[in-house]
Amino acid sequence: MADLVLDIKDLVVHYETEDADVHAVNGISFQLGKKTTLGLVGETGAGKTTTALSILNLVPNPPGKIKSGSIVLDGVDVLKLSQEELEKVRGNDVAMIFQDPMTALNPVMTVGEQIAESVELHEKVSKQEAMERAKEMLRLVGIAENRAYDYPHQFSGGMKQRVVIAIALACNPKLLIADEPTTALDVTIQAQVLELMKNLIREYDMSMILITHDLGVVAEICDDVAVVYAGRIVEIGTADDIFNHTHHPYTEGLFDSLPNLKERGEELQPIKGLMPDPSNLPPGCSFAPRCPYATDACSKKVPELRPVGGTSSSKHMVACDAYDDPKFCLRRNKDGK
Amino acid sequence: MAKKANTVSTNNDVIKSRSQFQEVFHRLLKNKGAVIGMIFLLVLVIIALISPLAFDYETQVIGQNMADRLQGPSAAHWFGTDEYGRDLFARIMWGSRYSLIIGFGAVTIGLVVGTILGAIAGFKGGIWDQLIMRFIDIFYSIPNIMIAVVIVSVLGTSTVNLVIALSFSAATGFCRVVRAAVMTVRDQEYVESSYAMGLPTWKIIAKHILPNCLSPIIVQYTLQVGTTIISASSLSFLGIGVPAPAPEWGALLSGGRSRMRDASYLCVLPGLAILFTVLALNLLGDGLRDALDPKLKK
Amino acid sequence: MANKIILEVDNLTKYFNTPGGLLHAVDGISFKLEEGKTLGVVGESGCGKSTTGRTILKLLQPTSGKIIFDGEDITSYGMKKMRRLRQEMQMIFQDPFSSLDPRQNVMQLISEPIIEHKLLKGRAAIEKRTRELMDIVGLAQRYVNVYPHELDGGRRQRIGIARALAVDPKLIVCDEPVSALDVSIQAQVLNLLKELQREYGLTYIFITHDLSVVKYFSDDIAVMYLGQMVEKAPSDLLFQKPTHPYTKALLSAIPIPTVGKERPQRQLIKGEITSPVNLPDECRFNKRCDFAHDICKKGNPSLKEIAPGHFVACSRVDEFVG
Repeated sequence: MADLVLDIKDLVVHYETEDADVHAVNGISFQLGKKTTLGLVGETGAGKTTTALSILNLVPNPPGKIKSGSIVLDGVDVLKLSQEELEKVRGNDVAMIFQDPMTALNPVMTVGEQIAESVELHEKVSKQEAMERAKEMLRLVGIAENRAYDYPHQFSGGMKQRVVIAIALACNPKLLIADEPTTALDVTIQAQVLELMKNLIREYDMSMILITHDLGVVAEICDDVAVVYAGRIVEIGTADDIFNHTHHPYTEGLFDSLPNLKERGEELQPIKGLMPDPSNLPPGCSFAPRCPYATDACSKKVPELRPVGGTSSSKHMVACDAYDDPKFCLRRNKDGK
Repeated sequence: MAKKANTVSTNNDVIKSRSQFQEVFHRLLKNKGAVIGMIFLLVLVIIALISPLAFDYETQVIGQNMADRLQGPSAAHWFGTDEYGRDLFARIMWGSRYSLIIGFGAVTIGLVVGTILGAIAGFKGGIWDQLIMRFIDIFYSIPNIMIAVVIVSVLGTSTVNLVIALSFSAATGFCRVVRAAVMTVRDQEYVESSYAMGLPTWKIIAKHILPNCLSPIIVQYTLQVGTTIISASSLSFLGIGVPAPAPEWGALLSGGRSRMRDASYLCVLPGLAILFTVLALNLLGDGLRDALDPKLKK
Repeated sequence: MANKIILEVDNLTKYFNTPGGLLHAVDGISFKLEEGKTLGVVGESGCGKSTTGRTILKLLQPTSGKIIFDGEDITSYGMKKMRRLRQEMQMIFQDPFSSLDPRQNVMQLISEPIIEHKLLKGRAAIEKRTRELMDIVGLAQRYVNVYPHELDGGRRQRIGIARALAVDPKLIVCDEPVSALDVSIQAQVLNLLKELQREYGLTYIFITHDLSVVKYFSDDIAVMYLGQMVEKAPSDLLFQKPTHPYTKALLSAIPIPTVGKERPQRQLIKGEITSPVNLPDECRFNKRCDFAHDICKKGNPSLKEIAPGHFVACSRVDEFVG
């Protein structure tokens, strides 16, 4: 498959602190094709951000340690690159957008300078040209050119996130990693920024990994979705597979917890219990203790991803051993929705 | 829901947990320097407490015995004797009482005064903050020793006056530290939550705000005691500290100064006493700072 | 079924003096709240929803207007006079990480209001009640000695709820009680709040930026923009017939977690919320509004009842309805 931008195999990342060995990522594998957007969905502590940081080999070390696995980005294994080579990759091939636009910008530089800096770093252009490019980028993200000479504190949260996006896009990356890019923003501003990102990705022929906990945002923007739980992918497939042919009990739990699908007054059906402590994961399937379908067998063996087949696309895989029984079916699918 | 609480049966698996302070102490014990400092200080406190039992002040500590004058360290006189034949070991041991009383006394007074002023400035803000902090700034801009010299020369030399003089500079430090800490804690949601709960203001300050400002206060306290002991010794060295013949360490140092060539132990030993005490306090202070703020560690 | 009105807020304003000028955080809010009902207050950051909640509880002194709680005008009550009423009005805070004193354990945290208001005497009785409250909010007894930093967000928020419940309040202002929590935990806490309301007949003011949460939770919803209420209606009605252009935009901005089904047309609003300092006398939304007209620049519209219980503040509301 020549069209792959990113191929992650069996990634394992631990954080080794004095008190505990935190198993943040426990064997994540996925592939990302050209011009596709993959949503990485999960709750706090599921290992989404650590996975994303690994792609740029940015996991803080110590205490973080990439134990094993390979991350092939455009044909090159990122984990084997030297520091210098990595710096070239960062920004040139891959750009990252973080959750908090307030802290992502340097307060003593004008936004124009910051975008131009990113352009200069990756392309051989003169200062003036870089500034011109910066203004162009600003216009692209919907900010008036003359604001290039303003400082970050003169911008609102949504505007700052636009600037951050402009910086990320300034060097024309092949892959954009967005870590909860709209979580800190208000709904109406979130809608604006999502719309903007959607258009830009199309325009630039980029691939994107979108990390989020919001299934609404995923539905809005992603082609493929991977649901992450306790450092493992429990279900992966196209958005249609995940939303309309849900197969993993955890994914089902996530949908049932959402209030906006329900009519008022109806009881929500939250997943019982809590996310397991990543320094002390339960044996077997990590979700088993919270799973309404769990049997004794679930806590014996870690389930592997298996193809779903049936009406789903060929991409759809689920890590649940309950499907050993061909008759097994989630409540959600039974109701003949 | 609302199952009837069956407290007896569920009591067995109550999670044992450490409060923040227990956790801090646990971390502190891992720090070798801090433990050494703590042990040294503990020994020093014990010495200060038992020296009245071990030595007779009138005869052994200040009583002159010209026959034994200027003897070097020996089995009879571990640290030797000074030019009046007084046993230096007894005098240094006894001197720990002065250093500790002055150090802890002055800093404790400073703590009380500084904390009250700092808490008012930090909590009330506005004009109160302005008044108190400008007043403190004035004191801050004058060197500590200078203030002490002025106060002692006005009030006269005595141990009590020395403590008062030194407490001034301690108070300014505490005032600043407490004000900054209170200002941070004041805006925390749990303080607002206490208002919503209906707690009176003074109770909120005493129960929720000050206890959460303790970390910087404790660190400031240990470090300040060290500084104050040095200041006290300096003043005694200058002759305006604890009046002779009391064996304050600075005074011992000053007394031995003229004998530096032939009886250097008269200077070296009191000097070491000051050095180790202050070092121990600083080790402990640094250890506490790291233990209280684990984020500082890598 | 006219229930007893437990809270009446009349033309409430709260201004702050800032270096830039007078900040209109809350600007003329009026509503009545029946006992046992929930009013959802929705808006984006900076719209004054939190200030409204805090002013009603008298954590902030209102600039003008009236707050009548349970028939008693509490507007001018000082700290001391309010203390008695704190038993009846409580608050649940947004951030379960900063709203609990880190130096108190669960027992101390939950028993504090009981001791403070002298509701029970004797250690045994207080401890028993505390354990009972832990049961009620679904906090296992083994956490009784645990400190908040050892607990996760969901459990901490349960402590916050237990603290509020400890004094047997009538009204609880919930300020974004679930927005700091993960979805699955969010649902647990929402269910708990709902159950408690049924059990104890609580009245809630539910402040949030998350429209999907209020729909599930509230009887009435008030939408706020720049310190003012722009629309207020029974929950279902608001979602069926949003009338104010801002409400419409807000509703259509919610990302919907469905794929492949028909999606309603997005109505993006341009620009961002302006700062509520020195506002001119015109519709506060007109600069971002797609339907803005000359009339919108002439005076700030007030709430108008267009259907029973459905209030809208828009200069062109007649055109939209008609």
